[in-house]
Amino acid sequence: MKNKFLVLSVIILVVYIFIDISVTIQAFKNTGNQLWSMLLIVPPIFLLIGLFDVWVPREKVILLMGENSGIKGMFLAFLLGALSAGPTMASFPVALIMLKKGAKYSNVLFFVMTWSTLKIPIIIFQVSQVGLTLTAIINISMLFVFIIGAIFAEKLFTSEEKQQFYQKAINYNKQ
Amino acid sequence: MSIDTIIMYIVTFVLLIVSFILDKEKTFKGVKKGAKAFLKLMPILLPLFLFIGIMLAIVTPQFISNILGADSGFIGMLFALIVGSITFMPAFVSYPLGAQLLANGAGVAQVAAFLATLMSVGIVYYAAESKLFSKKAAIYRNVISFIGALLIILVVLVVY
Repeated sequence: MKNKFLVLSVIILVVYIFIDISVTIQAFKNTGNQLWSMLLIVPPIFLLIGLFDVWVPREKVILLMGENSGIKGMFLAFLLGALSAGPTMASFPVALIMLKKGAKYSNVLFFVMTWSTLKIPIIIFQVSQVGLTLTAIINISMLFVFIIGAIFAEKLFTSEEKQQFYQKAINYNKQ
Repeated sequence: MSIDTIIMYIVTFVLLIVSFILDKEKTFKGVKKGAKAFLKLMPILLPLFLFIGIMLAIVTPQFISNILGADSGFIGMLFALIVGSITFMPAFVSYPLGAQLLANGAGVAQVAAFLATLMSVGIVYYAAESKLFSKKAAIYRNVISFIGALLIILVVLVVY
């Protein structure tokens, strides 16, 4: 289970040596590129996670993004997600530190979804690539669905499940 | 490096210096904690990177735009949704790819669906996401994002 992707990858790589070795070579190049861009882009994210952990008290996060943070908590989750840079996978450890500090699950979910898709700093870049109409459609539709999704998650996940997220977050960020 | 990453570096650098001036001990502790969070994530990610590297070698942009043609219709959309759902790509990679596909003659609805799922749905990361949060959480986030992509298709079909 754990090494499913690794086993599958090795099989495909070996098979392609006989079919078309250039695919195998390209696959290794792509993997190297991904690793490189990960190492280039994510260090600040993890430094911020560490600084956040030592500097920001739990009470503060509960106040800003916790159970009773309301629309303000959601707005903050949006801002943090939209203003961050980095691959979506890097938002997961950030989400875990937020959960550990007492942020509400629906806010954390909204943060991760926003991070993946709604990037405010590069919105002009997006327009330059695919035009204003398409950029607007993608961003507004996704924002709409993410808001509904986050609000609905509050009802869909039981308090027991939310407690488990908190436990997992504590385990992940253990000393 | 894109502009948002550069901003991120500057912000982190400034905060790190401020933190260091305020409390040296705490800063070291924080840096250590960040490094630990990073090292915990990497073993989960490495095999996935290899798999995604292979996918990207097989499913090239030319390959995609051949299938996402303007008159590829429903099948093209389905293909866009499926291929886009395989892995995550950050927005600054996805949008140029979308522009390239449009220039190669791919349909707008197909490209929009591809872009949306590419950024927000990542099936390859399902196991990792389940482990960090829960199966239900991973499924829910991916499904919600997928619904977003479906809505985008609808809006594009109405607008264009």
